[in-house]
Amino acid sequence: MRAFTTHRRRLPLTILAAAVGILFAIPLLWVLTNSLRPGAETFGTISPLGWETFLTLTPNVDNYTALAGTSLGRGILNSIIVSVATVAVGLVICAMAAFALAALPFRGRSAVFSVIVLSFLIPFDAIAIPLADVFRTWNLQNTFTGLILPGLGNGMAIFLLRQFFLAVPEDLAEAARLDGLGWWGIFSRIYAPLARPAMIGAALMLFLFQWQAYVWPLLIGTDSEHILGPVALANMQGQFSVDYGLMFAGAVVLIAVPLVIILTLQRYFIQSVTTSGLK
Amino acid sequence: MTSTIAGRTRKVRRGYGRVALAFLAPAIVVLVLVRLVPAASALYGSLTRSSLLTGDTRFVSWENYAELLGNPDFRGAVGVTVLFTLIINPLQVAIAFALAVLFTRRLAGVRWWRSLVILPIAVPPAVSAVVWNVIYRPDDGLANAVLGVLGLPPQPFLTSPDQALAAIIVLLSWVGVGYWMLFLIAGINDVPGELYEAAALDGAGPWRKFFHITLPMCRRPLAFVLVADTVSNLLVFGPVQMLTGGGPEGSTNLLMYDIYTRAYTLGDLGRAQAEVVVLVLLTVVIVAGQFRMLRGDER
Repeated sequence: MRAFTTHRRRLPLTILAAAVGILFAIPLLWVLTNSLRPGAETFGTISPLGWETFLTLTPNVDNYTALAGTSLGRGILNSIIVSVATVAVGLVICAMAAFALAALPFRGRSAVFSVIVLSFLIPFDAIAIPLADVFRTWNLQNTFTGLILPGLGNGMAIFLLRQFFLAVPEDLAEAARLDGLGWWGIFSRIYAPLARPAMIGAALMLFLFQWQAYVWPLLIGTDSEHILGPVALANMQGQFSVDYGLMFAGAVVLIAVPLVIILTLQRYFIQSVTTSGLK
Repeated sequence: MTSTIAGRTRKVRRGYGRVALAFLAPAIVVLVLVRLVPAASALYGSLTRSSLLTGDTRFVSWENYAELLGNPDFRGAVGVTVLFTLIINPLQVAIAFALAVLFTRRLAGVRWWRSLVILPIAVPPAVSAVVWNVIYRPDDGLANAVLGVLGLPPQPFLTSPDQALAAIIVLLSWVGVGYWMLFLIAGINDVPGELYEAAALDGAGPWRKFFHITLPMCRRPLAFVLVADTVSNLLVFGPVQMLTGGGPEGSTNLLMYDIYTRAYTLGDLGRAQAEVVVLVLLTVVIVAGQFRMLRGDER
């Protein structure tokens, strides 16, 4: 009897949960389906609304192969280059700073920590316009350096890594010192590997910052060789005749890359953010 | 003997400072280049004005700020931004929390349904704007096709001054709600199970459990999410630039977009930079609050 009532009470909630989930996923399903059929069919299947709006029985990947020669394809490739370079360099820079702030007692450490994290917390987009002027005078517009530089320092990543580094026992570093290991060795061979979940979480933050950026690449990467994926996609809208199949294929790629990474690493992402003092 | 130890400690301390500087240097260089230099440049630029004719730059002190305050476009943008902030942030946090509560219940396939809500957080804002631009098309868009099935008349969405801001709020919530829900799910999962068991023994129903246990125990993650959400919504730019261009009738002219048009369409760099300074100050105050919250019980 009791099991029956809880079951009865749960059924409407289960239906609600399913309905909400499907509602959120429908636009993505629609984008995916339209990336698998010719652009001319996008609007033909909308009205009247039917299952064919959201599914296709004759999927083909022509739109994806067509991406190769376009500026959208180029933009996606550039986005990969910029994001990967940012993670590779930025992770080292952020981890080094976090290591100094966690493992090296020096005078004024807490003041330096506050200044670094607070200044990195100035929202980047808010100062993107004055920074673009500065970068133009330094001739950094339309260079990969100009696109990558702003992503290298991330206050949240430094903050997160420092929290993890603080948990590493000091004895470990001391013992390593006695064995003749230098500070770089202690950092790269003890602290960084021990904080692996935080390193992965920080890498994800650095990656998403660049992959999702729009304001900055719009201001600084405008020529065809340095255009990034989101800007290339936005540019398609303004064109006289839009190939919607191609546009949706580009959108799927720009969504799928972070999606795969987030789903694979979501454990570390949530863990890292919640253990950084939220509790 | 004692003195050599003391001497050595002092040497070690000084050594630490130098080592620390070496480790901090790259981060500090980046920090100065991409945060402090532009902030300083905006601050200085906001106090000057360049003549388009002669190219001369002169110092005008607070003039840009004073004129900004009297500018109807700027005042409109502030009004729209305040309205937008007051609607979107409570709305997103409330939905995210409701969904977090729903998706932490033991329901059939709940992890699966939850993943579907999380999926859109991977969508870059610019991509979501492009996709929803097609969804919102007045004649042949998906949104009006769905309304048609429900027997509702087609809506103008982005071309109506009454609906455009709401349309942008829906788009941003589609991407944002799942993200904030993740933090709140973590917060709910951290509530000790004994509290619920004790409440169940006292005969508390689901609503009482929610208002007397879940809600108060999630105060910290809720506060964090509200502040972080507010900052990110203060900086919304892509959807406005791509979908409405601030219109119709200025109804979606959020501050970030107003700065952009002031700088690049109107070429009014001095006042644009004054506006940047205002926006940065506003967000820094909010971010500082967030930072304090994150530091929390560290000591």
